[in-house]
Amino acid sequence: MDPIAVTIALNIIYEITTLFVIVLGLAIVFGLLKVMNLAHGEFIMVGAYAAYFCQDQGWPYIMAIPFALFIAAILGYLIEFTLIRHLYRRPFDTLLVTWGLSFLLREVIELVYGKGFQSLSNPIPGSIDVLGEPYPSYRALVMVIAILSALVLWVWYRRSLTGARVKAMVENPELARAVGIRVDSLARHTFVVGTCFGALAGVMLAPLTRVEPFMGLDYILTSFFVLVVGGVGTILGLSSGAGVIGGVQSVVSNLFGETSGYFGVLLIAILFLWLKPNGLISRS
Amino acid sequence: MLNGKKTSRRTVLKATLGGAALAAAPGLIKYANAASNFKIGLFIPLSGPAALFGPSAKNCGELAIDEVNKSGGVLGRQAKLYITDAGVPPAEAAKSAVRLMLRDKVDLIVGNHDGAVRQAIVGAVKGKIPYVYSPVYEGGECSPNVFMLGETPQQQLMPTIDHFAKTKGVKSYYLIGNDYVWPRVTNKLAKKYIAAAGGNVVGEEYIPFGPANKFESAVTRIKSAKPDLVVITLVGGDNVNFNRTFAEFGLHKNISRVASLLEENTLMGIGAESSGNLYSSMAYFANIESAENKAFVSSYKAKFGAKAPVLNTLAESNYAGIIFGAALTNKAGTTNAAKLAATAEGLTVSTPTGPVTMRNRHTDKNMYLAVCNGTQFKIAKVFNKVPSGQTCT
Repeated sequence: MDPIAVTIALNIIYEITTLFVIVLGLAIVFGLLKVMNLAHGEFIMVGAYAAYFCQDQGWPYIMAIPFALFIAAILGYLIEFTLIRHLYRRPFDTLLVTWGLSFLLREVIELVYGKGFQSLSNPIPGSIDVLGEPYPSYRALVMVIAILSALVLWVWYRRSLTGARVKAMVENPELARAVGIRVDSLARHTFVVGTCFGALAGVMLAPLTRVEPFMGLDYILTSFFVLVVGGVGTILGLSSGAGVIGGVQSVVSNLFGETSGYFGVLLIAILFLWLKPNGLISRS
Repeated sequence: MLNGKKTSRRTVLKATLGGAALAAAPGLIKYANAASNFKIGLFIPLSGPAALFGPSAKNCGELAIDEVNKSGGVLGRQAKLYITDAGVPPAEAAKSAVRLMLRDKVDLIVGNHDGAVRQAIVGAVKGKIPYVYSPVYEGGECSPNVFMLGETPQQQLMPTIDHFAKTKGVKSYYLIGNDYVWPRVTNKLAKKYIAAAGGNVVGEEYIPFGPANKFESAVTRIKSAKPDLVVITLVGGDNVNFNRTFAEFGLHKNISRVASLLEENTLMGIGAESSGNLYSSMAYFANIESAENKAFVSSYKAKFGAKAPVLNTLAESNYAGIIFGAALTNKAGTTNAAKLAATAEGLTVSTPTGPVTMRNRHTDKNMYLAVCNGTQFKIAKVFNKVPSGQTCT
């Protein structure tokens, strides 16, 4: 096979799978709780800084995962308890509150680490051969983890009891409460799971990208594009949204350059908002 | 009274007089200032995408003011800084410039910011007060009473490309930059120098400025184009992401890179693993081995501590801008525009980059080609007194 074609194909898969990981936390919080979490990018940023902290301490990179989850869970609980729980069913207010929250999180990180760039070293340097073509090992690992986590989450949500409870809560909170589901605590846990997935994305991406207080802003716009295209509330919708946005971005960029790729994504997002506002796969 | 002391008439009188003096004081101080200070409006990015350079630029501005005042001030007056945010939309920067002129009555403006903000300030000031524009830029600004200190593409790339062609046998070049005026003008000139050196351009591309960019497809294109040297005019976060992706795909082993805006902070973000065979061509690096720079670095550290924001070419340009503006005004003996213009031509001022000489309202200066060694720069080659290639009259 043409070596460049192999690299391009892998890049497209990489683009789509990382996009899936980036959007996952947002999709959970927005799709299930109707909370438009504009601070989602900042949770990714917090995850990246948690990874930086671990590397700076000389710990193995795998330690960054529990550490980032711990930080994100504490933050998630605090934020849900103090702010978000008062705002369920007021999507526009959650948008404003989380927007303010994103400023706060950026400022706190800036206070501790300053505005400058931090660089993490690649935990798995070198490359592996894919169809005879070298590809960076860490990227390959990120792709595998992303695909596995999508599958696990999909099966769990369909088959588990908690998945069923969450579905009941989303469909009809009053009825869910009447049959003995503790909706308040279920919602809180759902929110925390969302923030944890954000931080996890940060840990995965930190060695690949720039790490600075404003890095979260890079992810938030594309994340909402994915939700617009894919529709909210299902793993399948999220995957197809990531596929369309990541695929268009990657394919058009490869053919016509980066500016065209960005333009293509904007065009798709506008067309979907206009003609198919519920996205490809909508829950209802 | 609770404590039993009696309030005498004398105490009341004292208090009243003291109070009156205090109330009048701000007015008096203000009046005294207006008469005695030489006011310098300093535009630096305190917010927005370049805000990273705000703290170091502010420090360099304050350091310059200290030194100007230590050596007698400007026109016999103490210099005073009016720090203004330049990380705002151009229209807002223009309003700030007008406010500095009309309300604060500044005598001089020094700015370190992008070209759009520069044009807005030039439009608002209209040459009424001198304006020193200090950062690296694409050249071409010739408005009256505006003085450019930054390195031009001619200075950054003409000697550098020649050097790569002659000493490293570089033949094929790939140009990548953000999509705005500075990279495009720089690359237009780069292509001229590449042709003159007998090389050829195997690819040229521009990445949108602003959105979150990824560089997998660009790196793949470079991989298949197989150039000897990549000429980079990406800035900030894009510069970091491009170079990290480039090295991750292993291209840094065989392909050299030279960047036109790669300073200490950006290199920190690129990281040691990704900086192999990476060069930077600029007028200033914090570890230049010259007496001027060593004095500058040690007084910076003495004033702001060892943990102060890292020095870089943009912050240094603020220092140089104020030193230059003060020297120019002192030599002219006035802020009259015609006198300043006549005095500026041929004026040489000592700055941390070495002596700079103004010609055609730009400066001839030393240029440095540094090679990245981990997250530190190592000066690989010094080009002395490189002309700016600008033709303002």
